[in-house]
Amino acid sequence: MGKDIISLILLKEGEEGIIHSVSGGLGLIGRLASMGITSGMRVKVLRNIGGPLIVTTNGTRIAIGRGQANKIVIRRLTAGRGKAEPV
Amino acid sequence: MAEKELLVVLAGQPNVGKSTVFNILTGLSQHVGNWPGKTVEKKEGYYVSGTTRIKIVDLPGSYSLTAYSEEEKIARDFIINERPDAIVLIANASAVERSLYLLAEFLLLKAPIIVALNMMDVAEQQGIRIDVSLLEKYLGIPVIPMVASKNQGIKELVSAIISLSDGKKEYMPSIADISEDHKDIFLELANILEIYISPPYLTRWTITKIMEGDPDITEKMKHIVSPDSWSKVQALLLQHEDSLLAVVRGRYDWVEGAVRSAISEFKRGQILFTDRLDHVLTRPVIGIPILLSVLALVFLLTYGLGLPLQQSLESLMNAFAAWIEAFLGPVPWLRGIIVDGLIGGVGTVLTFLPVLLFFFAAMAFLEDVGYMARAAFVMDRFMHLIGLHGKSFLPFCLGFGCNVPAIMGARIVESGRTRLFTILLTPFVPCTAKLAVVTLVAAAIFGKKALIISWALVAGNILILGFSGAIASRLIFKKQRMPFIMELPVYHKPNLRTIGIVTWKRIVAFLKKAGTIIIVFSVLLWLLSYLPGGDIESSFLGLIGRSIEPIGHPLGLDWKMIVALLASVTAKENSIAALGVLYGVGEEGLREILPSVMSHASALSFLVVLMLFVPCAATLVVMRQEMGGWRWFLSSFTFMLFLSYLSGMAVYKFALFVGI
Repeated sequence: MGKDIISLILLKEGEEGIIHSVSGGLGLIGRLASMGITSGMRVKVLRNIGGPLIVTTNGTRIAIGRGQANKIVIRRLTAGRGKAEPV
Repeated sequence: MAEKELLVVLAGQPNVGKSTVFNILTGLSQHVGNWPGKTVEKKEGYYVSGTTRIKIVDLPGSYSLTAYSEEEKIARDFIINERPDAIVLIANASAVERSLYLLAEFLLLKAPIIVALNMMDVAEQQGIRIDVSLLEKYLGIPVIPMVASKNQGIKELVSAIISLSDGKKEYMPSIADISEDHKDIFLELANILEIYISPPYLTRWTITKIMEGDPDITEKMKHIVSPDSWSKVQALLLQHEDSLLAVVRGRYDWVEGAVRSAISEFKRGQILFTDRLDHVLTRPVIGIPILLSVLALVFLLTYGLGLPLQQSLESLMNAFAAWIEAFLGPVPWLRGIIVDGLIGGVGTVLTFLPVLLFFFAAMAFLEDVGYMARAAFVMDRFMHLIGLHGKSFLPFCLGFGCNVPAIMGARIVESGRTRLFTILLTPFVPCTAKLAVVTLVAAAIFGKKALIISWALVAGNILILGFSGAIASRLIFKKQRMPFIMELPVYHKPNLRTIGIVTWKRIVAFLKKAGTIIIVFSVLLWLLSYLPGGDIESSFLGLIGRSIEPIGHPLGLDWKMIVALLASVTAKENSIAALGVLYGVGEEGLREILPSVMSHASALSFLVVLMLFVPCAATLVVMRQEMGGWRWFLSSFTFMLFLSYLSGMAVYKFALFVGI
């Protein structure tokens, strides 16, 4: 399902994904990890309409700047109300 | 007399109720200061139980223990160097995973730990059930369920601390491992580095930190390890670039084990209250108008309730001055120092107390219920335009009350550069004192148009803040990344105790400055206006004012207005008192005389300079302290001086041109 490995910012509101990887400096990776955003974690996008995103993981809501969110790569889960990408 | 003294630290991630626990335990014995040489708050206090006196130190809240922020470095250095008798890790029962992640880090430090599982009630509401004894068994350390906001579990926590320090309680912590595929590299690193690691550092901890790429430990090791071995270490780390992830994964595997063994979650049928509110409040189209209305309401309440009180305080202060004047007798300089200097200076500042009290209480309320995090979120996109991010919004808001606590409030912005930049821009937020001067002068000069003029001035001020930010961020802070990562806490009922403490802290910050810096400056200013001849015209102040009058000419300012602006550095509201003295009418007569001595254009220019001018002495002192150096402080000082001058000139010329 390679085509469903996408940047977090491409997820629509209400869609969920499993974090595949986080790129960027160790500082960013470490900080996100300590808040529960790291490979293998399941996240749900609550807010994504330009500007920062809000995601929720393990019952915590976290606002992430767009630039940082772009460095988070996720595998989209087909459940939820989002439509699957054509091809 | 206490026979035994224990050192206990409170640790925990933000939004777990740590300060609530701290406040309950220490009550009035708490002392708030700074960590030595740092601009991070240090809180400590005592709890006495029988013959044991427990010293409690509140570690700065941090999400992890890697030295990426000052707070995190302070927290772990304290544990490594001070070896506390117990660490109480406050965990949020409704989001256990993250709290346990921090616990995994703490356990590596081999200090005795107790988990205080707070917010059990919130967890229950969300359908999360935690079997405390199973969790205890898995972790191998004491776990105390708590609802700190309702004072539940505190006694149990204290007795756990005491029995842990007595060695009566079984303590066999399980420790998170590095994920399986990276154990070899861990051992290889340990082989090379083991001989270099000495107490207080532990081998396992140090190697883990090296694998995490911890900048502080890496730097330290680099200096002790032989170059040959160090290049081997570097090569190993380069080969295994994902070492950090291996550490993280190991920790989360351990956390998952705990969760699986002790926590069961039931499907929550209903959408949480927080989600429903957020659906509205975090949507910019609706969220921003709501934010503006909320702030408008705050100002309305503050001024509606505060201003009448301020006015009555003011007449009380005047009555007090008149009463005390009778006692001072015929000695003019004594009368001057006390009545004009102290009461006129500090007294005027103190009359703002009710306004500030209402304002800060309202802000603390919005913070406590969780709304300010949402405000920061919707404002983030605008803050980006000026080179900042959402977190700087709170200090700016506080600035409308008083710049002193606002600049101290900038501490919530983690990254050093962004914090510095926030402090740099905060003085451009018009505080209550500036607004008071604007209101008075505008009302006297512009009559019916006063309201529009005042609004225009405030709006212009905020625009200038924006432009300065946009330009400075592109010139000086270019290429600086501004990572915005912020937790949005669950909305909850206001906790009056917390609101009270936060408000009190900010008021005290203001009072302390009023009581020290403003006293000194007020007396100094009075001396300058009195010596050597006893009247202001021939005084040093008058001399200074007249000698720099030519500078004021392009701005339409005469020397009296210049002196009033200089006086505003003691405290902004003192410029009114200064004008009153200079025109020889006192504050009461000022309204009548102002229109005859200030043209419309001059008044506009005066107000513009006042708003953009060097901030008051109290703010300056705090800026210098929080900026941690002279360089930034002096640049911002010069910048404001020039900006106020140029803007004043531009407004004056413009006003003359259009014939206002």
